[in-house]
Amino acid sequence: MKFNIDRNDILPPVQTVCTVIERRQTLPILANILIVAEGNKITFTGTDMEVEVVTSIKHFSENPGEVTVPARKFLDICRALPDGSSIELSFNKDQVLIKSGKSRFTLATLPATEFPSTEALGSSNKISISQEDFKALLEDTMFSMAQQDVRYYLNGLLLEMEKNSLRAVATDGHRLALKEIKVQTDVAETQQIIIPRKGVIELVRLLDGGDEKIDIEISENHIRVSKGEVQFTSKLIDGKFPDYQRVIPKGGDHPIKTNREALKQGLVRASILSNEKYKGIRLILQKDLLKAFAHNPEQEEAEEEIEIKYAGEEIEIGFNVTYLLDALSAIKTEQVILNIEDPNSSCLILPDNEIECKYVVMPMRL
Amino acid sequence: MDAYFASVEQRDHPEYQGKPVIVGGLPDKRGVVAACSYEARQFGIHSAMSSSRAYSLCPSAIFIRPRIDIYREVSTEIQSIFKRYTDLVEPLSLDEAYLDVTECTEFQGSATLIARSIKKTIKEETELTASAGVSYNKFLAKIASDMDKPDGCYLITPEQGEKFVELLEVRKFHGVGKATEAKMKSLGINTGADLKQWSENALVKNFGKAGRHYFQISRGIDHRPVRNDRIRKSIGCETTFQEDISDVEVMLNKLDYLSEKVFLKLNEKGFSAKTVTLKVKYDNFDLITRCVTSENSIKGADEMMGILGELLQKTEAGARKVRLLGVSVSKLDPMHQVSTGQSSGDEQLKLL
Repeated sequence: MKFNIDRNDILPPVQTVCTVIERRQTLPILANILIVAEGNKITFTGTDMEVEVVTSIKHFSENPGEVTVPARKFLDICRALPDGSSIELSFNKDQVLIKSGKSRFTLATLPATEFPSTEALGSSNKISISQEDFKALLEDTMFSMAQQDVRYYLNGLLLEMEKNSLRAVATDGHRLALKEIKVQTDVAETQQIIIPRKGVIELVRLLDGGDEKIDIEISENHIRVSKGEVQFTSKLIDGKFPDYQRVIPKGGDHPIKTNREALKQGLVRASILSNEKYKGIRLILQKDLLKAFAHNPEQEEAEEEIEIKYAGEEIEIGFNVTYLLDALSAIKTEQVILNIEDPNSSCLILPDNEIECKYVVMPMRL
Repeated sequence: MDAYFASVEQRDHPEYQGKPVIVGGLPDKRGVVAACSYEARQFGIHSAMSSSRAYSLCPSAIFIRPRIDIYREVSTEIQSIFKRYTDLVEPLSLDEAYLDVTECTEFQGSATLIARSIKKTIKEETELTASAGVSYNKFLAKIASDMDKPDGCYLITPEQGEKFVELLEVRKFHGVGKATEAKMKSLGINTGADLKQWSENALVKNFGKAGRHYFQISRGIDHRPVRNDRIRKSIGCETTFQEDISDVEVMLNKLDYLSEKVFLKLNEKGFSAKTVTLKVKYDNFDLITRCVTSENSIKGADEMMGILGELLQKTEAGARKVRLLGVSVSKLDPMHQVSTGQSSGDEQLKLL
């Protein structure tokens, strides 16, 4: 295998596939990326056995071939070479030789045949969606995913497809986030999949804000997202997501309406003096006034008063302030609506528009 | 450990060796230097300096975001090396600890030889260098450890102790920070010898309770014991097989045994735990851990075994031969709080 390439052409695809490489691998070859040169195309692949990213560039190779090289080192070399320099890469016996200007590097390799490949997808449902919309769908819900929970099906994001909509739901058992967007899908009946946490994080990293379309393919065991030359594939979590509809409260009789930013800033200030471990904050709702109190083991105290529109009776309720702030950051509207019924029931937080977006937070007993 | 975070980075990225490496915030952000390699120190860079300042001192330095999980892992390795010599280990931070080797029988009890042996073991097992300070109390041992960095081993004998302290600048003293240093200077106290001129009462008058401590250490006296009874973080058991095994059934049997043992220990110490960690060392010495944290305390060895079975499936045990299996639990809470249902007051209610 041998090709000459501009450093600026090879760096972006290498960076893209290196993001999925784990720092500590279970198999030596997972520290490597696969490079396949064929005719007029060079393809790069990185994987951790759960998430795989493949990308290619149009480029002529003198000699076709395939090899795997240490991801981190190869990336660092490409990155460290001067902007615009030309790189010659050749694979001989079991080493890759990289030459550029007065620099020479030889890298150890592992056989390309040992590189784990993702099995074929099988029959799949397809969705075409703007990457901006899909990214927002993930970003506005992913923060509620559980992390290393024994209920392994919570360590990921539920994606639910219906004929005309795509819904994302995440919950860690204390709070829940749901967002739905209208999109044409080719599913006949509702299909549910759970994308593992790492897959979600890597996917968000790959997506940009633009309205360029991406293709999503969902099979029984995998999700594949194709964005231009980049192809992302993640295994799915094999498990049943809890019946989330059951825990989303109906809006109450006395919703609270307030300026989102003002509420958020008030809570951020109060949280400075909340217990660092439990992050508890006490809210007192009165007619058109919300008071927030926080204190820590050092007996330092914070108190905030926030103007709201509220006509219900006085309620005192505790929350993990982080959960409230996460929801208030995901909502984008100027006004926000909170439904609080009593100190032992969940709170529903909604944006002040028609977008199907729901955040449920369970209180704390303080 | 010498330039700890930076040394770990240089170890994991051989291409950084011999180069100024800075671990901490990136220079275009508002971060600070958490650690820097000795090469970087030659440019006048030191920890706690802002990264942008470090950048202006040495634009060619390699800036790296900290990988705290890795440093923690290495720290655990180092702590386990200490434990081979004595149980009396008092960690000060990820990369520093006091060891009381009074009862240690190895090397005929020679602290210097033990220190050398520990340094050698650390070097062999982690490829990192450490500096040791050997003396007859914590205060002097700590000072000694700074005398001969990097890769040093410095001894302050009981005969030298008092003389040594006399020559020391007061800012090197344990418990003397910037403010106290300034106050001492204004009183004409610059060195240990100056400090020694003062009576205990006069020192207490000026510095409160700490004055008594200063009075003592200025004479090389420090009676603080090395305490290993800091809050316990985890409880575990592990076993190395006589021969590497590939039979998953055998592994499960062993895990069953280990989880019983861990749960027994847990009960003895009066704790409940929320996190279970499985440790697997493959036949080529690759070491991995897999863990889960459940929301509620683990109720028994059976529940723990169920979790361990799932964790084992997430490893390549079986496909690869296994040399060692370990089980540990963490996220510990004192048991009585759980049984009475009164946690420390803050209780998150459950949605699911």
